[in-house]
Amino acid sequence: MPELYAPEMFQILAPDGTVNKPELVPDMETVEKLYRQMVRVRFFDDRLASLAKQNKMGTYALFGGQEASQVGSAMALKPGDYIAPMYRSTGACIAFGWEPRLAIMYWRGHPEGWRIPDHLNMLPIIIDIGAQFPHAAGVAMGLKMQGKPNVAMSWIGEGGTSQGDFHAGVNWAAATDSPAVFIIENNGWAISVPRAVQSKVDYLMRRADGYGIPGYLVDGNDVLAVHHIASKAVEDARAGKGASLIEQMTYRIRPHTTGDDPKAYRTEDEANDYITNKAPIDRVRKFMTDQKVWDEDREAALKLEVETEFAASLEAADNAPTPDPRALLEYAMVNPAPHLLRQREILEQRIKAVEHA
Amino acid sequence: MTLAAERPTTESTTKVMTMAAALTDALDLALERDDKVVMYGEDVGVMGGVFRITTGLQGKHGKARIFDTPLTEEGIIGTAVGMCAVGYKPVVELQFGGFMYAGLDQIISHVSRYRYRSRGRWNTPMVIRFPYGGGLNLLEQHHDSPEAYLTHTPGIKVVIPSSAYDAKGLMLAAIEDPDPVVFFENIKLYRSLKEEVPTGYYTVPLGKARKVLEGDDVTIITWGAMVQTSLEAAKAAQQAGIGIDLLDLRTVSPLDLDAILESVEKTGRVVIVHEAGLTSGFGGEIAALIAEHALFSLEAPIVRVAHFDTMHSAFNPINHFSRPEPTHVADAIKKVLSS
Repeated sequence: MPELYAPEMFQILAPDGTVNKPELVPDMETVEKLYRQMVRVRFFDDRLASLAKQNKMGTYALFGGQEASQVGSAMALKPGDYIAPMYRSTGACIAFGWEPRLAIMYWRGHPEGWRIPDHLNMLPIIIDIGAQFPHAAGVAMGLKMQGKPNVAMSWIGEGGTSQGDFHAGVNWAAATDSPAVFIIENNGWAISVPRAVQSKVDYLMRRADGYGIPGYLVDGNDVLAVHHIASKAVEDARAGKGASLIEQMTYRIRPHTTGDDPKAYRTEDEANDYITNKAPIDRVRKFMTDQKVWDEDREAALKLEVETEFAASLEAADNAPTPDPRALLEYAMVNPAPHLLRQREILEQRIKAVEHA
Repeated sequence: MTLAAERPTTESTTKVMTMAAALTDALDLALERDDKVVMYGEDVGVMGGVFRITTGLQGKHGKARIFDTPLTEEGIIGTAVGMCAVGYKPVVELQFGGFMYAGLDQIISHVSRYRYRSRGRWNTPMVIRFPYGGGLNLLEQHHDSPEAYLTHTPGIKVVIPSSAYDAKGLMLAAIEDPDPVVFFENIKLYRSLKEEVPTGYYTVPLGKARKVLEGDDVTIITWGAMVQTSLEAAKAAQQAGIGIDLLDLRTVSPLDLDAILESVEKTGRVVIVHEAGLTSGFGGEIAALIAEHALFSLEAPIVRVAHFDTMHSAFNPINHFSRPEPTHVADAIKKVLSS
């Protein structure tokens, strides 16, 4: 392999909260917005992890630790933009406007949680790896054809970059100059498989060169850096400059899902080092405190705010009626085929049998 | 079920067309009628497709409506999902049915499920069309009949016309349809048959079979190119005094079960013919439905005629021993009458 120029990882805020690119720090209102959203989605993730331990969730794909990566990118979008999320994108979806109540219900397998609200340009969460990239490319191509000033953003893990759909999607959007922003959340692990197994290349963002589009390497734990680069990619896309590929270096501090135990494949030291030294929320709080725009009272108020919101969301989700079994055969087709209509009759019989039991 | 004689007669003008010309005509009319319809795929733009089905359409409707794309079946189908989300009705072409496998994940995992998964928020009213079927001595994967992979996939419709008239009317119905449709175009039938086809806009309803021949002794159930193959055998049988009820399904999913049962209850003897391999072919589903709904009407075991359970080979000089031929159907008719 030829010697490659090592790209510099873009960073505005160092892990200790000091600023190394003061000219790129946004106004404090934006900083605070990003911070509040990170705290909000991280609290959501913490609570779902603990609800899962109490057996009050279905399988849930945790994103805790990736809050800067998800919030910083999703908050670069504007109304009318589209997102194509994957299973670990819940933080991005909530930052984009998905109600936490619906997210809880989604992860509990409640059909009403699966219903995507009409006002939200959120494509469905994709479980199989990589398929969301061609979808995002298609949305972006359509937006361009319609002359709309909007963009499509999608996320994938570093493991997902090995999929054919990664290539199909990025290459398509690049070749058609479509307004798409593709984000690799490199969290180091594809369940138990480390990053090095996926590819010989040192940084996955180098693939951007192969597609003829800009590629960025970003500290995915620095929400200011993530937001800055994502905003640049989004605005370039909006301005007709086509697609971008961003690699956000972060870390999966938690199990792959609530059903996974990382002790089988990695040491706890790695996660602890991240939590102690690289955590995204801490560095922003330190920075804001140093700037005298944040203090313990405000922190306590924010904590109370997110706790209150979550408690209300959880209560609403808990109080959602048990789904009607008829949901099983709804939305299978616009014009249901005769065989589906016959199965509806069977379902009605089963519902009656239970009611009479 | 409709008979050929029941075709709508409101169209004043007709023209003799091949199935290929009828399909081109349908795509042309769809582009004209609905500006949400866009067509794309490999070679469909400048060249007009390897079978020339989109010939002239880019020149007439422009590059914004019909265009060439990167060579990727998962990309073509996957981007069509996204195009639907922003309001388009993509009609995409795959170069051959056997190349669909590269995009099958997008069909099975996404095209068919997007509506269900989003509880109606996102729909995928696309048409995926491709040439399929044997008989032209092409290469490997150029002859496959992959309908059974799709009929097993909930949420999509599978259309396989056998005539120029039906091809046009079914294509326009498929494009109008709010559910995703996979549209099979038989490569051997593209230019081997000609018939009078209305030049105007008309649709043939999805999910309705067509009675090709009426007879009382044996029901033949088939679709696509096997309608012609079966018709040859059926005509010979008719001359020998055997009445054949020949049913062209036209749409294999959803299936016109009523038409099948009506015929089976009349004849009591069933031959199912398909170009795809026998085992787990769609003929198995038809046989199971007949067993469930009309077992006691049967006077003989059902006979299936299908390709051997190998890949559809490119051993062109000997393929006719495997692929259903009129003689194989004739043997099946004899067999179903012998018990």
